[in-house]
Amino acid sequence: MSSHRLVRRVMTVGKYLAAITVVVVMLFPIYNIFLTSVQRQADVRGRDLNLFPTYIILDHYQEVMRPGHIVPIVEATRNSFILSVSASLLSMALAAMAAYAITRLKFRGKQGILMGLTAVYMLPAILFVIPLFVWVVQLDIVDTFISLIVPYAAFMTPFMIWILKSFFEKVPADLEAAACIDGCCLRKLIFRVLLPLSIPGLVATFIFGFILSWNEFLTPLVFTSADFPILTVALGLYKGTVDIQIGQQAAAAFLALLPVILLTLVFQRMIIGGLLAGSEK
Amino acid sequence: MVGLNKYWPAMVFPALILVAGIYIFPAIQTLLFSFGRVDVVTFSVSHYVGLDNYVRAFQDPRFLDATLRTLYFGVVTVGMGILISFPIAVLLTHKFVGRSIVRVSVLLPWAVPQVVAGVMWEQMFHAEIGMVNSILRHLGIISRNVIWLGDATLALHVVMLAVVWRIIPFITLFLLAALQTIPHQLYEAADIDGANGWRRFRFITLPLTMPVLIPTALIQFVWTLKVFGEIFVLTGGGPSWGTTTLNYLVYRESFEFFRLDRGSAIAYVLLLLTLFVVLLGALARRFVSVDRTARRQRV
Repeated sequence: MSSHRLVRRVMTVGKYLAAITVVVVMLFPIYNIFLTSVQRQADVRGRDLNLFPTYIILDHYQEVMRPGHIVPIVEATRNSFILSVSASLLSMALAAMAAYAITRLKFRGKQGILMGLTAVYMLPAILFVIPLFVWVVQLDIVDTFISLIVPYAAFMTPFMIWILKSFFEKVPADLEAAACIDGCCLRKLIFRVLLPLSIPGLVATFIFGFILSWNEFLTPLVFTSADFPILTVALGLYKGTVDIQIGQQAAAAFLALLPVILLTLVFQRMIIGGLLAGSEK
Repeated sequence: MVGLNKYWPAMVFPALILVAGIYIFPAIQTLLFSFGRVDVVTFSVSHYVGLDNYVRAFQDPRFLDATLRTLYFGVVTVGMGILISFPIAVLLTHKFVGRSIVRVSVLLPWAVPQVVAGVMWEQMFHAEIGMVNSILRHLGIISRNVIWLGDATLALHVVMLAVVWRIIPFITLFLLAALQTIPHQLYEAADIDGANGWRRFRFITLPLTMPVLIPTALIQFVWTLKVFGEIFVLTGGGPSWGTTTLNYLVYRESFEFFRLDRGSAIAYVLLLLTLFVVLLGALARRFVSVDRTARRQRV
């Protein structure tokens, strides 16, 4: 074998070793809580290194989902789901209109608006959470959906405008112009031309919005009490309770993780494209 | 769209009003809080005290420690993130069987909620049941379990590791995008000139990824300033304030001790720090792009 071919072989082997290392290291923390969530506590606490399960039990999941459990998983999941869907829809609707106007219409101050949106998106949320908390208390809307949907939607709107803008820029303006020349009225323009063409952008935005809302922690932690459980908050506060069950904590964490993992797996290309589009400016 | 032009306010203002209502007005309110005494019962400003909250903050060693800790946290976390992401991005530019599996495994941590990441790493570094101690014990590196989260310095670095893991996806994606724009011919020319791997990296890869790397690093730095969930779950800011960053200090002042005025003042210091980094990014961007245009013209 020539030395050149040998070098190539070594490179190939190195490449696969590197690839396997990356996959193992990146996925290990996720695998680890999954493992803990399907093992008996005694085996997790044992002195032996158990990297691979010899059995799988679902007791921790059953236990943590039992009504009256200190982590109200079922109720919290429902609340988080309603919140994430409503906040994403609200933000998507507003961001779509704004992004379309910014992409296609002529008016002054566009650059200013875009720069302002980018700037506020970078700011730490805690700055807004302090007075918002005060207003939520004063308006007596603690533990309501509205007290969370509005801030969630506002927090992600700048990002959504950026993503949608990049999608609208790819839709040829000629198509719309053609529709107009044909004497197509505004409603037809919107429902026959604009909406069908923007569906990929809207889906991507919705997925992003859902994941961002689902993962939100600081805002619901401050704005809600135990009477209105939110999944991330319930999980975050579980640690503070006495006699924590490590398997159940892992099960709860895995349940909180599952929806966003599935969305990421299914929409990975869309997410990668959106991330690159949403922040490259 | 000519016919629609007159409708732009109706399309733009709803989003702007929402953003202004949730970002701008609260930011002004926070500023007012930071100059006053906020009553704990009514949550309103009882009287204004000028810069007193800021002066007190700067006299408080906890604040000064938290500021330095935040900078250290941000710089090291982002630096580590880049060091790990760069080889991953280079790997992903190659074609090989299973590349899409690598790509999606690298992407996944991005979607993990901070709180869940906190729980994951807490279980990894748990003194008794943690996988890290277990592995180190079996490799014979340690004989007794290390109490990772019981020591301020160790705990801080565990939190940083958790954050590095979660920012790798973003940095890798951007580096990958930048790497893919580098023309192949450059490397071929370098091969003909007999340039070795390091020189190829130093004179082709690095300069051509810089315009992406710098803004990405600054965005990530701004994000690490805001880390909350991991700290909340892993350490709660302890032991003895040892993992309290500025952002977390604002939270503790405001919502553990309900000193909204002190919290607001520190929040504004954090805001200034953030704006400074954003400004730095804008400057770096202009500088780098000018440099690039100049180079293109020379070619």
